[in-house]
Amino acid sequence: MIRTSVIRTVAAAVALALGVTACAGADQNSGNSSGKPSSVLTIQGDAGDPTLTENFNPYSSTQLEGTRLIYEPLEVPSSVNGSYTPFLATGSTVVNPTTIKYTLRSGVKWSDGKPFSAADVVFSFNLLKKFPPLDTTGVWAQLKTVTSSGNTVTMTLQKPNVPFAATLAQVPIVPQHLWQSVKDPTKFTNTKPVGTGPFELDKFAPTQYMEKKNGSYWRAGTIAPTEVKFPAQSSNQSTNQLDVTSGKFDWSYNYLPNVQKTFVSKDSHNKYWFPPGGTIGLFLNLTKAPYNDANFRLGISYALNRSTIAQKAVNGYTGAASLSGLVLPNLKADLDPSLPNQGMVTQNTDQAMAAFNKAGYTLQGGKLEKAGKQASITLSMPNNFTDWVAAATEVKAELAKVGVAVTLDEPQYAQYEKQIGAGTFDAAMGGFGGSGNPYTDFNNALNSKYAAPINTATVNNFERFKSPTVDSALAKLAAATGQSAQQQATYQLEQFMYHQQPIVLLYYGGSWGLFSDKNFTGWPSASDPYMLPTTYNNAMLVVVTHLRKA
Amino acid sequence: MRYVLSRIGLFVLTLWAAVTLNFILPRLMPGSPLDAALAKLAASGQQVTNAQRTALESELGSPHGTVLSQYWDYLGNMVTLNFGHSYTDPTRTVGGSIARALPWTLILVGVTTIIAFVVGTLLGVWAGWRRGTKADTTVTMGATFFASFPPFWLGLLLLYVFAFKLKWFAIKGGYSEGLTPNWSPSFISDAMQHSVLPGITLALTALSGWVFGMRNNMINTAGEDYVTFAEANGLKQRTIALRYAARNAILPNVTAFGLSLGAVLGGSVLVEGVFSYPGLGHLLFEAVTNHDYPLMQALFLVLTVGMLTAIFIVDLLYARIDPRVVRT
Amino acid sequence: MSILQTVEQPAETPSSIPGPRRTSLPGPIQFLGRAFATVWSNGKARIGLSLLGLFILIALLAPLISPDSPTSTDYTPYEGPSGAHWFGTTGNGQDVFSQFLYGARVSLLVGLIAGFGATFIAATLGLIAGYRPGVVDNVLSFITNLALVLPGIPLMIILAAYLSSHSVWTIVLVVALTAWATGSRVIRSQAITLRTRDFVTSAQFSGERLGRVVFREILPNMTSLVAASFFAAATAAVMAEASLEFLGLGNPATISWGTILYQAQQQNALLTGQWLMIFAPGLAIALLALSFTLINFGVDALSNPRLREK
Repeated sequence: MIRTSVIRTVAAAVALALGVTACAGADQNSGNSSGKPSSVLTIQGDAGDPTLTENFNPYSSTQLEGTRLIYEPLEVPSSVNGSYTPFLATGSTVVNPTTIKYTLRSGVKWSDGKPFSAADVVFSFNLLKKFPPLDTTGVWAQLKTVTSSGNTVTMTLQKPNVPFAATLAQVPIVPQHLWQSVKDPTKFTNTKPVGTGPFELDKFAPTQYMEKKNGSYWRAGTIAPTEVKFPAQSSNQSTNQLDVTSGKFDWSYNYLPNVQKTFVSKDSHNKYWFPPGGTIGLFLNLTKAPYNDANFRLGISYALNRSTIAQKAVNGYTGAASLSGLVLPNLKADLDPSLPNQGMVTQNTDQAMAAFNKAGYTLQGGKLEKAGKQASITLSMPNNFTDWVAAATEVKAELAKVGVAVTLDEPQYAQYEKQIGAGTFDAAMGGFGGSGNPYTDFNNALNSKYAAPINTATVNNFERFKSPTVDSALAKLAAATGQSAQQQATYQLEQFMYHQQPIVLLYYGGSWGLFSDKNFTGWPSASDPYMLPTTYNNAMLVVVTHLRKA
Repeated sequence: MRYVLSRIGLFVLTLWAAVTLNFILPRLMPGSPLDAALAKLAASGQQVTNAQRTALESELGSPHGTVLSQYWDYLGNMVTLNFGHSYTDPTRTVGGSIARALPWTLILVGVTTIIAFVVGTLLGVWAGWRRGTKADTTVTMGATFFASFPPFWLGLLLLYVFAFKLKWFAIKGGYSEGLTPNWSPSFISDAMQHSVLPGITLALTALSGWVFGMRNNMINTAGEDYVTFAEANGLKQRTIALRYAARNAILPNVTAFGLSLGAVLGGSVLVEGVFSYPGLGHLLFEAVTNHDYPLMQALFLVLTVGMLTAIFIVDLLYARIDPRVVRT
Repeated sequence: MSILQTVEQPAETPSSIPGPRRTSLPGPIQFLGRAFATVWSNGKARIGLSLLGLFILIALLAPLISPDSPTSTDYTPYEGPSGAHWFGTTGNGQDVFSQFLYGARVSLLVGLIAGFGATFIAATLGLIAGYRPGVVDNVLSFITNLALVLPGIPLMIILAAYLSSHSVWTIVLVVALTAWATGSRVIRSQAITLRTRDFVTSAQFSGERLGRVVFREILPNMTSLVAASFFAAATAAVMAEASLEFLGLGNPATISWGTILYQAQQQNALLTGQWLMIFAPGLAIALLALSFTLINFGVDALSNPRLREK
């Protein structure tokens, strides 16, 4: 033991001496360190702490994100506005509110050379039915049957739910000839993935994996990168941020403070796009008084200066939220034009007081009181979500000015999750929407079927909102096939959000895309907002297939 | 002999109590593995739906059975070293995760402790022998100063200067991305290079214990008769310092090894975090934030048994050094 | 760390224990005064005491000397050091220098109170164990050993997470509950050595009660050990508080050096070039911990004349 230790000690000392000269090696992974543009795309990949888990099972919750480039779904809706990019399907038709028909692309091959067919699609869906743990998006809670005939696949739903097509279309399709012999696909890590996608697995190492271009991809000619490299990121955000600014990546997803100074100024190729990707709001527990009183909520809403809150929370990268519930400008096509000022509300203490008065509260010596008791709120948020904490701190300061006492409760995420899931909270910071589909956003947040009783866990509708009016508007929207019917139902929901404020929306949470256009162009941007710049979910597939060589 | 037997009995009893505490403590923590898994999903910005929750529930297999039956299973598994699957990543066995991380920590902490021991003890001998001189003051003050640094802070500063600004070392990890751990010289040199900054951080902050232990022991032995006798016989100062005084002074210092190892191991949790070093400390912090009970339990067990054994040996050595203890 | 070196002292250097003071125990104030003088006479301890005094002064005078409220978020975020904001501003637009001054309060409070708590537990358990061989000693040593073998920082992380209130008092409690074991061991072994001394044996034979023997005969002869374990525990407490808060296990709304470091890490002060936001609070923690250790040099010299400066 001692002998080898001495050897190691010496070796460490040698390494120390070498450290200075050997440091050039640290840069060897840099995709864009050479002068010429490279055809290797480097994406800051999955958190691999301390090492990555080799898992390319497209149905696993712990799959590596690069799996998205290996398996294709039928279509991918844009997370900005819901418009579809076709992959294995060339298109889809809504036959009636419970039937959707997909036409499949012909001539597609699996990367092992076997042809892709409608049978693979039916097999994949039935696999999810047979193994519910694989069904992470809950398709079989809505589906009744999936059948094929020739190159069409027909799916029927248990209940009218046209917007659910967005979920159905995104189920990854796996090859029947290989997966039918997998005994337990829930524990299958699929280390030799065979898919139809633009890339196939090349090399896997504990802290990085590489994928190479699939030469037989159905539109291989238009795929720019010859190779995609996914170096693992750390679970430590600061480390990742330092890594990003060192210029190693073509694409990464990271919030950066002072992005102009810390990133853009470091290289003329560095670009960023921080579009709104969802709405951060104040979720008041609607099973408790006075939060169940819309007037009280309106009072809170008018008392807040949303631009200041956004400035404090996210460095002003995104702004105040529209109270319509829509993420703007992403979904501006769906916005009810009759809403004043696009649903934006400015701080107005008089209006706040008027609303509070209607709720029975009056200002007594600087305190907002009803029957001698001051209005007080305990506001919960996870302690490591610094933007939420900053926003809540500002909310607390602003509400103090109208006499409402706010106490901040900052547990760890797991505890927060438990609180909001069980409904044992006063108020909580939370995220609303961001799916790119108004129905999904409103349905998750407002559908009374998710409003579980207190102490029963739910993942949606934490505030436990229940309204027959809203439920029927949601049902109408789910069944609407024509554009005008969809619009009408969406407008109704927006009006309700705006006037009742079941969730007091505050500011838009950002989607933090950082790019380098040195090797590749065609990144999503404000002028070409085809997708949110997330390096996870199917945005990866859409963006990578959209790139062009620089 | 009775003393040794009673110490062995105590060792087994402590082991049992520590193992039981390891079982109880994680279960007292708020939140469940399911919530933590959902937290991970949500933190990555993905939509979390009820469907996902149900799917995760069946995938993770939340802890089931009564606490008593869980405890029984737990004891059985500890004996057979079967730690099961990690909650956060069911495709990984806990044993596998630990086996992957263990060598990194063993090497980092081991090498660091040995460097700190050798350098610290030598400095201590020097300072103790030259007691009251400028050299003594410099060594003791320097060691005290470094020992006062929060290790993670020193790590951050080193990271900033040498990795981020000067780019001499990599910002994170135990080896360059894309490499697979093996025994080739190129990999070893790459890994060495990655371990320099965390190693220096730990060694600098762990130095002082050895320096002071040795310095004080030297001062004490310096007054002993045999040293005075040697001096009177006109032996060279250096010979007396190293061959007589230091030899006797080092014994008690060696017994502090076990405890010190534990302290360095604790410090490595944060330092490994700062450098994203792929060792046990980092794994433990990950496990705690993810509420990964099986992983946490196994990690605690590994760390605890390690320390327990070290202290057991210290106890036995202690009895040899001071026979009065045995007389109890 | 100085506690480590004392582990073996009693047994190795019986001559280091001051002679029995059975009949002429000085009044507490006189005693403290003399102890302080001894400690002060040590050059290192003098630096330590001065540093500690400076920090206490900063903590007491924080409201008077800090330029701004530490919580006001009225400034431009992510500012570097300037005349208006000596240490720059946080990502929420708070003045870091004001936070730094106020931060002294929490670090001192946690250090001193947790140190006191840990020492109290250590002294009580150590004395009883050392003086009562057999079952009592075995049970207490068992508990002490158990507390020693549980890995400290990981244990603290779990406890801090369990006590989800995340106030400063949580951290005080967690540190007091985890930092006593080493001190207890040292005090126990000293008590064992003392127990067999003539003056203690004679007190026992003259029929004095246990409590009296322990507190009149044994405790006064190990004041310096107790003080040493206090300062060692206080050092550990200051470090532990910073570590827990740096990991995000504290309450981010508390203004302390640990939370400034946490905020700096969250807002990536290294990236934005606000290095003072990391450097200053870390150095302050180091200096406070250093002051405790330096004072301990004097305290050690109190019990071991050989360590006194010539």
